[in-house]
Amino acid sequence: MTSKFVGVIAALALALAACGSGGGEPGGGPAGTPDAGATIEIGSLYEPQNLDNTAGGGQGVTEAFNGNVYEGLFKLTDDGKVENLLAESYEVSDDGLTYTFKLRQGVTFHSGKALTAADAKTSIERVISDDSQSARKSSLTAIESVEAPDDATVVVKLSSRSISLVYNLSYVWVVNAEGKDLTTGEDGTGPYRLGSWKRGSTLSLEPFPGYWGTAPANGGVVFHYFTDATALNNALITGAVDIVTSQQSPDALAQFTGNPDYKISEGHSTTKLLLAFNDRKAPFDEPLVRKAVSSAVDDAKLLESVWAGHGSVIGSMVPPTDPWYEDLTSVNPYDVELAKKQLAQAGYADGFRFTLDTPNYDPHPTAATFIKSELAKVGITVDINVITADEWYTKVYKNHDFAATLQEHVNDRDVVWYGDPDFYWGYDNKQVTDWIEQAEQARTAEEQTELLKKANRRIAEDAASDWIYLYPQIVVAASDLSGYPVNGLNSQFYAYGIKKG
Amino acid sequence: MRGRTAFVIGCVLAGLILAMAALSLVWLPYDPSDTTGGRLAPPGDGHLLGTDKLGRDLLTQLMVGARIALTVGIGSVLLGALLGVAGGLLAGFASDWLDDALSAALDILIAFPTLLLAMLVVAAREASLGSAVLAIGLAMSAIVARLTRVLVMRVLAQDYVTAARTSGTSWPRVVIEHVLPNIWPTLLVNLSLQLGLAVLAEASLSYLGLGPPPPNASWGRLLQEAQATVLTAPLGAVAPGVLLVVLVVGVNLLADGFRDLADPTRRRSR
Repeated sequence: MTSKFVGVIAALALALAACGSGGGEPGGGPAGTPDAGATIEIGSLYEPQNLDNTAGGGQGVTEAFNGNVYEGLFKLTDDGKVENLLAESYEVSDDGLTYTFKLRQGVTFHSGKALTAADAKTSIERVISDDSQSARKSSLTAIESVEAPDDATVVVKLSSRSISLVYNLSYVWVVNAEGKDLTTGEDGTGPYRLGSWKRGSTLSLEPFPGYWGTAPANGGVVFHYFTDATALNNALITGAVDIVTSQQSPDALAQFTGNPDYKISEGHSTTKLLLAFNDRKAPFDEPLVRKAVSSAVDDAKLLESVWAGHGSVIGSMVPPTDPWYEDLTSVNPYDVELAKKQLAQAGYADGFRFTLDTPNYDPHPTAATFIKSELAKVGITVDINVITADEWYTKVYKNHDFAATLQEHVNDRDVVWYGDPDFYWGYDNKQVTDWIEQAEQARTAEEQTELLKKANRRIAEDAASDWIYLYPQIVVAASDLSGYPVNGLNSQFYAYGIKKG
Repeated sequence: MRGRTAFVIGCVLAGLILAMAALSLVWLPYDPSDTTGGRLAPPGDGHLLGTDKLGRDLLTQLMVGARIALTVGIGSVLLGALLGVAGGLLAGFASDWLDDALSAALDILIAFPTLLLAMLVVAAREASLGSAVLAIGLAMSAIVARLTRVLVMRVLAQDYVTAARTSGTSWPRVVIEHVLPNIWPTLLVNLSLQLGLAVLAEASLSYLGLGPPPPNASWGRLLQEAQATVLTAPLGAVAPGVLLVVLVVGVNLLADGFRDLADPTRRRSR
């Protein structure tokens, strides 16, 4: 009740402030000078399920809240670097098992409570707790204990070295979990606090006056949620939204191309389309067969079909924004003759038949159709089995009951999954598992990078999966907008830098 | 006269699609899975109607689609007619309580939305041509059965049937000699209307991804796939839509024509 009332007052104050800067000050009017009081209207297809990223909030809550409402000890910048955020500095013990973080001073939560080390401790423990549904839980398994010896110090003890700890902590939001339901409300330290969330429609964020850092360059943001990409683009055309976080069809771009009212930017995403084989079962337990299939499919042609010249072919699991990226497109080149030769060598000169489990949403059915037609040329018959996302999760991900499947993998730095023989694709190579384990325990970033490069090259040589292409990240914005993120790393979308005018 | 014109137009429209489907059995401009064309190539230049996203020839896809539409349409009408007429005859001849039970079952089946029924069938089996035929045929059979039952009861109330029954004619003979000859014209008209509805139902199912799986080029899925590119390549969405309208309108006009031919009162008035 009270908080709602405060919200209304705050909104009124904002509106008045906007009027003041527009009418009173001479600098507010002319084009070219950003209007610091302007509200940015953001169009998105990803409404949060709830507001807690440890309770299945989905990618929507990351997009709206990560870095905007909640902050971690570290942050992943739009170009993939890790920087200090709520941690001012940190030290690592010689054995690499103890990390000591010094917290930034003078940080307060939106509720007014001052940030202490105890909050950071409970926040980390929330993510690794048994009932946490955080996607990052599995990468933090090395954490043995978290302690807060004083208000400004957090000590994390590990059971084994983990060079990615700092990077992984950039996904751990520091929250004040006391006395608030975090699935419907928030208490973070970020530059914005939650205004209101109208389910099925909008979520608004307003600047937090007590923010420790630089205040946002705008007077607040409103996320408008759409379930249909066409409706979303229409909203951009009519001016109902200023920016669309991620375009999912190149053909919708035609209406914005060459129009001076809009700007189109193409950045890197970390989303990869995979033809994932079940490496446990014949015929795909044989690397030569997997290589043959990889060489028989013209990835560039499919990319052109789906994305019309956007996106890129990568040849392995690592996208260019990961530090251990290497161009491996020549390892399994598109070469039908080579594919036929490899099939003959593997004893499948007359081809074989397999079922391709295909999620029922774009671009999977299109990709499946294309792959079927490509593999027919080398004598392989593909039966397309269209399934829902739920069926995929049960049949493929949990029960490993499949021959091959199509799936998009959205995370960055996820090549490490090839080190887990129990993962759904069942790639089991002792050497690769060792490299990935050693990389995690590396003493320097260089050492880690070297080892993961080796692992990435080896999985490409083994064609552990067929990495078809990397999605583009296309943002369309009104041309008076600037300062928005252009890369789509893990679907985060920092809004505080966006300027209008 | 008006009825005759409608019948001729119906023949031409439905015949056009039938010819397309028949031709597709022996000849296609391209292999349906041939992806050698450019992305969304405009009409002309080797592709009469252009290509889709994957570079497949649109005319080829449409011809294959005609075959699928007619297969599902005719298949489900046959299934619906078989089950529906059998059920209707049974209900029409049956004792009171069996008739009541059957009628109640039919009412429930009719009240069940076709698409929901189809989703259930697809969930129980798999998305395929056979599932589509089964789902649409089942939904249709209820409507056909109810109509058949009413028609049968009307015939059974006639004096000459009562005479035949009292003189000891067996049930099968009553059905074959008296009932069927009297009800088939009305049934035929209804079944041809059902054919149009079945074609639309198949397109809806495919549009929702519940029809024959890719790469089968159903018109419904062609529409769905072309939706994203409707601004850049409108023909991809327009062409299957037009063919769908042509077939359904054609079949409906044919049904109108059948009715005029079958109805003795109309025949006399001419």
